[in-house]
Amino acid sequence: MTGALASAAPLGAPVVAQVTAIEASLFVFVVLTALFTALARDVLAAVIIFGAYSLGMAALYTFYRAPDVAMTEAAISAGVTTVLLLLTLAKTTRLDHEAAFESVNLPAAGAAGLLFAGLMLTMGDIPAVGSADAPIWSNPDVTQWYIAETYAETHVENTVMAVLAAFRGFDTFGEAVVVFAAGIAALIVLHREVFA
Amino acid sequence: MSGTDAGGDADAGSDTGAAADTDAAEAGDTAGSEFASGGGFGRDRPPRSDGRLDSERRQGSPYTESQVIMPTVKIVAPFAFTYGLFVTFHGAGSPGGGFQGGAIVAAVVFMIAFAFGIEATRQWLANTVVVALAVGGALVFAGIGLVPVALGGAFLQYELLPIPDPVKYGMEGVEILGIGTIVAGVLIGLFLVLAKGFSDAGGFADADAFDDEVGEGPGTEEGDESTDDGATEPGTPGPAATDGGER
Repeated sequence: MTGALASAAPLGAPVVAQVTAIEASLFVFVVLTALFTALARDVLAAVIIFGAYSLGMAALYTFYRAPDVAMTEAAISAGVTTVLLLLTLAKTTRLDHEAAFESVNLPAAGAAGLLFAGLMLTMGDIPAVGSADAPIWSNPDVTQWYIAETYAETHVENTVMAVLAAFRGFDTFGEAVVVFAAGIAALIVLHREVFA
Repeated sequence: MSGTDAGGDADAGSDTGAAADTDAAEAGDTAGSEFASGGGFGRDRPPRSDGRLDSERRQGSPYTESQVIMPTVKIVAPFAFTYGLFVTFHGAGSPGGGFQGGAIVAAVVFMIAFAFGIEATRQWLANTVVVALAVGGALVFAGIGLVPVALGGAFLQYELLPIPDPVKYGMEGVEILGIGTIVAGVLIGLFLVLAKGFSDAGGFADADAFDDEVGEGPGTEEGDESTDDGATEPGTPGPAATDGGER
């Protein structure tokens, strides 16, 4: 699916301020699944729609050429999280609902709408997608330095991995320990001493 | 890929997914006729008078033996596992790395557990393996970080490692043997421990079930619960158990 998307996208064309049909349909899909996740009354339906949302986000990340993030989103969010949530549902009681959707809390929806409108006001100052002038890309001290120097410093082609494991290795060590601690915490919360 | 598999699997148990209808019908039939421990995520059981789906029957293993899911997983699992290893080992030259690859490897174990039963998978994967993956990964990461400290450098200063091309292979060691194993081990462990639930009878699930059952005394409930727990392992269908063991 992602491969088809990548080949269908005009890879050589400038992507500045252009929205292709695939891109637009992915955005619509992601927004709709996000809304249905929030509104679905049945938790099982919400979990499955949330998995679809994550898959749409993974396709969108692939489309914007962030394959590392896309891979993480697909594996962790669409795959593992969905399975763990389903497993939790299987262990708990699920209410049988008559209505398909939650009733919308109007003040909360109004607050969310105001926040959305406020955030949309800042869109004018955000650089266009793929713009070469975007500060995060053109910054000579950070992004351009990493792109230019990574291979000479680490002999590794994947700059993302070099940043994670070498330049920011201590942070990654902390993250790995957090993952390890999450496993221990699950054992403690569930009053168990062994995983299997 | 594994994500859609898991989603389709869950759909198969319930009647909400239209695409997986045949699957659901088959799974429901099998569960109803042959296996008393069947059930799964579905709505195939009648709702009770208070509007709740019976919770105590889903305290067992949420497993239905499906003739569609098992062969699919048998075919897909080796490729997904190889892809997980590729993503882990080739993280230096292409997108990916230990975190993504470890998650894909763990997702392969989830797939096997959905197809062949969580209890069979639990017996196949000993606790030692899961703990060794998680603890070993943490120790390797810390060890690779501490070797340069012992040689007079800073934490994770790869160029001091006593190996050829130390920065590249030091990073790959951290990604493959450190992060990949921690993530795979912890995710598999989370899955297995969540599938098992609370260890003692004082958990939320039991209290909830007890509140629901007005007519039954606490003694009966306790008895039911303990036999349920004990029966899940031998209750797993034979062929599935041996299949899970072989894989």
